[in-house]
This record gives sequence, C-alpha cells and structure tokens, in this order.
Amino acid sequence: MSEFYPVNDYGPLMPGLVMAGVAIVHVFLAQFAVGGGMLLCYFQWLDMTGRNSHARKFVDGYFRVLVLISFILGALTGVGIWFTAIQVSAPTIGEMVLRFHWLWATEWAFFCLEIVAGYSFYRYHRQLSDHARLTLLGLYAFAAWMSLFWINGILAWQLTPGEWLVTQALADGFLNPSFWPSLLFRTVVCLTLAGLVACIVVNSMSDLDRDAQRSLINRAAQLMIPMVLMPFLGAWYLASMPADSRGWVLGGSPAMMLFFMISVGASLAIGGYALIGLVLQRLYINGATASLLLLLAFGATAGGEFVREGSRKPWSIRHVLYSNGIRPEEVAGLRKTGSVADDPFPLTRDALYPNDQLRLGAKVFRRQCAVCHTMHGSNAVAHLTATWDSSQMRMNIAKLQHTKPFMPPFAGTPAELESLVQYVRWSGRNQPLNWPTDTCREVLAQIETWLEEAGTAPANPDGEPERHQHDGEPES
Amino acid sequence: MNSLFPFGLDQTTIFYLVLYVLTLVIHWALMAYVLAGSLWLAWATVFPGSGSVPRGRQPLSLRLRDWMPFMLGGAITAGVAPLLFVQILYRHQFYTANLLLGWRWMLVIPVLILAFYLLYLLKSPLLKQRPQWLNRLASAVAAVCFVFVAFCWTANHLLSLNESHWPVAYVGGPLVAARLTLIARLATWLAGTVPAMCVLAGWQLFKWPPPADQESSVRPADRLALLSCGGIVLAAGSAFWYFQQLPAPVQQHLTGSAGAGWLGLLIAGAGLQLAGWLLQWRQHRLHATGLSLVTAGSFGSLLGIALLREIVRYSQIDLTLSREVLEVAARTGGFGVFLIFAVLNGLLIFYCVRLVTSRDRQPQDSSSHQPPVTDHR
Repeated sequence: MSEFYPVNDYGPLMPGLVMAGVAIVHVFLAQFAVGGGMLLCYFQWLDMTGRNSHARKFVDGYFRVLVLISFILGALTGVGIWFTAIQVSAPTIGEMVLRFHWLWATEWAFFCLEIVAGYSFYRYHRQLSDHARLTLLGLYAFAAWMSLFWINGILAWQLTPGEWLVTQALADGFLNPSFWPSLLFRTVVCLTLAGLVACIVVNSMSDLDRDAQRSLINRAAQLMIPMVLMPFLGAWYLASMPADSRGWVLGGSPAMMLFFMISVGASLAIGGYALIGLVLQRLYINGATASLLLLLAFGATAGGEFVREGSRKPWSIRHVLYSNGIRPEEVAGLRKTGSVADDPFPLTRDALYPNDQLRLGAKVFRRQCAVCHTMHGSNAVAHLTATWDSSQMRMNIAKLQHTKPFMPPFAGTPAELESLVQYVRWSGRNQPLNWPTDTCREVLAQIETWLEEAGTAPANPDGEPERHQHDGEPES
Repeated sequence: MNSLFPFGLDQTTIFYLVLYVLTLVIHWALMAYVLAGSLWLAWATVFPGSGSVPRGRQPLSLRLRDWMPFMLGGAITAGVAPLLFVQILYRHQFYTANLLLGWRWMLVIPVLILAFYLLYLLKSPLLKQRPQWLNRLASAVAAVCFVFVAFCWTANHLLSLNESHWPVAYVGGPLVAARLTLIARLATWLAGTVPAMCVLAGWQLFKWPPPADQESSVRPADRLALLSCGGIVLAAGSAFWYFQQLPAPVQQHLTGSAGAGWLGLLIAGAGLQLAGWLLQWRQHRLHATGLSLVTAGSFGSLLGIALLREIVRYSQIDLTLSREVLEVAARTGGFGVFLIFAVLNGLLIFYCVRLVTSRDRQPQDSSSHQPPVTDHR
C-alpha cells in the first residue's frame, strides 16, 4: 500500500517534538487517572472499615480533582494524541489502527464503563450507600486499569513486535516481549502519581488539622511502596528490549542516556522521600513539597517516554515501518523509481528555489527526513552536516544506516540523493539566489556504488550489535 | 450503486460501515445535545426575556446546564469508536484532510478543553456569585467553541471528499473549494442538532419534572416542540440547499436506488418527530407516547442522514486504497475479544445506572429519586 500524505512544516519544531509534548502530558494525566481509581477504592475501604475517619471526605474531594483534571484534560489529550500522531506520522498510526483496531475498540468499551461509573459516582456519591460507593469506585478503577492494559500492548508492540513478525497473530503482537514489564512498571507509576496528587489534595483540605492531614498523607504514601519494585521492573523492561535499542539507552546515544538518567534520578528522589520520609518515619509533607515531587514525577515520565520513543530508532514500528513512514521492503524499489516520483503535493514555496534540482531535493527532504529533522531548528540537518564536504555528505547519506545506525537506509535514486545533498548545502549557505545544478555522471555513478555497498537492509536487522555488511569497510 | 446502499458493496465493507454508522449515530445524539444545548443556553442567558422567570432559569436551561458536562464527556467518549472505524474505512482521505488542515485542525483540542471547563463553570456556584455579564460571556464563549468545532469537522469532511483539491489546499489555497457547500452543510448540521437535543432533554424533563418554583409561563413541552419543529424546518431547508450544491451524479445516487430508501427514512423520521411534538404541544405536556414517537423519528432521521452522508462520500472518493486496507482489516483478529468485553461492559454500565437510579440509596435520600438540578459541589 503506497500512500502519500502531505507533510507540514512546524518551523523550528520537528514533528516528533510536537508529538512528545502532547504524549507526555496525556500519559501523565492518564496514569494519574488509573492510579487515582485504585487510590479511591483504598480510601473508601479505609472509611468503611473505620480505619480513617477522614477518608470519606478525602474521597469526595479527590474525586472532584480527578474529574476536573482527568475526565477533561485526560480524555481530550487522548483524542489530541491521536490527531497529533496523524500529523507526525500518518502511516504509523494507520498501521497501528489497522493491526489492532479491535483491541482499540475493546479499550473504547472500557472507556465507556469508566466514564459511566465515574460520572455516576461524581453525581450521586452523597446519596449512595457505602457499598454502592465502593462498587462504583471499583468499577471505575477496573475500567481505567483495563484501558491501560489494552493500550500498553499496542504501544509495546511498536518496539518489540516479537513473534508477530512471523505469525502475524494478534495475540503474539499484543502479548509481546515488553508487554508485562511495561504494564507492571506503568501500574507502579500510576500508583505513585495518585499518591503524590493525594498529598496535594490533603493539603488543600484546610478544615482538617495537621494530625488528620498527616494520617491521610501516610495512608496515601502506602500506594508508593510498590516503587521498590521499579528497579527490577525497569531492568526487566530493558532486558526485553532489542539489543540495539538497549544500547542507545545505556550509552549508545548521549541524549537518550541523559533522559534515561533523568528518569531514574527523579524516580529515586521520589521513591526515597516517599518510602523513608512518608512511610517509615510517617512525616507530614506540605503542599509545596508535594507539588515539587509531582513535578519531578512529570520529569521522570517525560524522560521515560522520550526513551521509549527514541529507542525505537530507526523504526517507528520495528521491522515494519521506518521513522519516515517508508517500509523496509519498499526501499529497493524506491532506489529505482525514486521516492518522490509519485508525490502529488507541490512545494509550498516553489519560487524560492533557484533550480529544479533543489526543488527535487526539498521534496526528498520532506519525504525522508522531515519527520525527525528540521533544516535549521531542532535536530537541524544543516547543523549536523555543517562540517561535511559534498563528497563526504554523499557517501554518508548513501550509507546512512551505517553512518548512524539509528537512521534508516536512504530510499531513493542517486539523482535524488544528489539533489538532497545540493539542497542541504544550499540551505546551509543561507539559500543564495543562484545555485548551479550539479549533474556530473561520475558523481551519480559513485553514489550508486555507495548505495549498492550499503545495501537496503537496516544496520541492525536482527537487533544484534551493529555489523557492517561489507568486510573492510571503515567505521563511519 | 444500483441497489440500496450499502448492499451492493462487499461484506467486509458493509460490516465496518454498519459499525461506523451505528456508533456515529450514538455520537451524534450526544454531540447534538451539547451543541444545540450550548446554543440555547447562550441565547437564554444573553436574552433572558421579559417573563417572570428568565429564560436562563427555566427548566430546560437548568436541565441542560446541569447535564452538559456529562453529555460532552459522553459525546467525546462515544466519538472514539467512529473515529476508529473511519480510519479503517477511509484512512487516506481522513488523514490527508487532517494534515491539510494542520494546526487549524489541532485547535479543536484546546478549544474543546476550554469549552469543557466553561460548562463546569456554568453549573458551578462560582459563577452565580459573579456579575451577570460574566455568566453571559461564559455561555456565549462555550457556544462559539462548539460551533467552531462543528465548523472544523465540516471543513475536514468536505476536504476529505475533494481529492483533486488537495494539492491546491496544501500550498495555501482555500482549504475548502466550495464555500457555499461548507455553509450549507454546516447550517444543516447546526439546525439538525436542535431536534436531537430536544428528544434527550424531553425525556429528562419527563422523567424528572422541574419543581414548582421553576415553573414558567412557557411549558417545557411547548418550548421543546417549538425548538424541535423550527430545527427540523431549518435543517430541511439547509439540506435542500446543500443538495443543490452537490454534483449531478451524486444527486442521482441520493435520489436513485442507492439512496431513495434512506431519503425516505429521513423524511419519515422528520415527519414522525413533527407529529410527536405536535401531539405534546396540543396537550401542553410531555408524555411517553409523544416522546417515544419523536425518539423513533429522531433515530430514523439520524440513521437516514448518516447513510446518505456515506453515499455522498462513496460517490466522490477513490476507494482503491480503502479496499486494500479493508482486505488486511478483514484478516485481523480480535473481533471476538471486542464482542465479549463490549457485552460485559454494557452489562456493567447497565448495573451502574441501576445502582444510582433505583437501588442502594441511603435512607435519608430514598424518598427522592430525582437527580438534583443544582450542582452538588
């Protein structure tokens, strides 16, 4: 299925950053909603068993926060993430929907239960018996966690499709190698976020004295005890990752390792404070400190999501779709026919380009590079290639998957590659009004040779540490 | 299309199309409540009238204000299912229209978030203690937000149908080629939401009649009958205008063997609604028979318009890629999983509703099963 989609220019922001912004906010809110359901069940039970006389009041106050934040922002950023995913990579979201639409529909069935149970509680909680309250909260928590269960499998499939690649069976794709560690890890995160928000909510209950607030905070902190499992679950998740992806996180990519360390560091700080201060020493935590910890948790979530997204490179769906929406089996064909020969969309500023070669280069950039790169903004190609001369740039792009193993192979003709080189150089020199067309046959022949040497396969076809396909080839 | 749509199509397409249409109708009903409800609230708040009870304090307004946040939550949740199926049936067209609208399309999300919070604000005691102009402003802004979202969806849909216009739209040309078509279609939708809102609000006011202190000179039945009939007439006029904007072959499909049956259902549904409201208007009260008639009529109309909408789409777009996608979709497992959990969750939803409407209330509240109109907070 060959589909061409228009590519939007977000200025200095690469589309991936737009996606990350919406995704991180949504994941944070959604995980809070899942954990919040479990926390409310716990506090309702505390009230019903007489273990905490303020628990009922807390449940009602906390649920209002849950509705006003999660039901609105959470639900709408959930739709927003779908729209954003289309903006960033329509082929990727299209493939995910196609392969898992019935599981997505199943998740929707749980959304429906979640919203009815949640609103029923929100609207009638003061009129309901204890048993009815617990039932509604239990159904809400169950539905919320099940929505995590379904979406987790679909997202984990992007990184570790596992046996699905061979069998194409839904169960193999859904219950993929990183499914369980990811699900359990996220569940612990959900509980942690819910506990931290609880500390803020308790501080806003000004009619409670300090002891009453402390008793509620210490109870809420018990939901953070599972954080002791995080190192083990994290290690399990890392072990389930393909070797090359794990390599990026553990030092292969400085940016990815930095985000990984931010996530680990923030989690350690939260976990240490919660376990030692709140659970063991039964300390009180004020609203400002609790907010700071929640901010740290947001940082940890952001770091973790960045790592999860980034470690898939060069794939958006491993072995199915490259980050730029091109399928691995299409590369060989596109090397012959060209990657933009069928592109129906003209350039937005066609008159800007001095010649047709640059126009072709701009289209190739749009098709193959623009999803992860800008020319002068974030992850800027002009900056990344500034020190390369023309010949070096030609070879590095022709052997792109070996130049940088988290890049996909170049999927176009030698003429397209040359036009891309000219376009990058022209852009790097502030787009002069005159620029010669370079159509030297020797250059094109050399590019073709390099393309053949590089092959059409990704650098790490089996997820093993990088192996060059041609003996004696120098390291890039 | 020589037989009644969609029967001439292959089984896989019919299967997904039926699911799409049915879930879309549910979404529309809830969406109509929110869109038409917000328009009514804005009107009633900005123009309170000269009666003893201002329009904004009359039973219909109070009921709408109270239920709108839940209905919006329901509309958004119900909208997820058709959003999923549209990506199976028409993914190339849908994605391209999304991308061409770009940031303008993405604006839908923050605008909906703003509108959602405004709905909560409108029903909260917070706003009641503030100057009246603030209340009017919040009502008007919420309505404008929902009209904007309706405009975006209309533009998206029309753009998705016009493949030859995509390159022009991409380089900054007009996003929708025919502006009159856009206006006519949007007008049809805006007017068409009013009768659907009146059905849901009618049942609410029938099941939970307003207390005596909220009575006004205009009875709810009369108000709803007037609104609904006005909406039907306006929607019919706008729809005819929209029909005239369509290319001749599309018109022929709509009135020919493919669409005539659904056109008949749409007209019959509208007629049934007019009859049901007339019956209640003559008796100046809402009753189960009248409401059942308008409910059946509304469902028929929504189903008819949904299928006619698909006929217009099938007459205008290239389905080559859609067929390839559907072939893969047909081989994808998971329908059984969905079916099991859909039934299970449906039962649990029913249990939740039973729990809060008829059982397990605490003794002090057991005397009244009416949901309070005022906010609990």
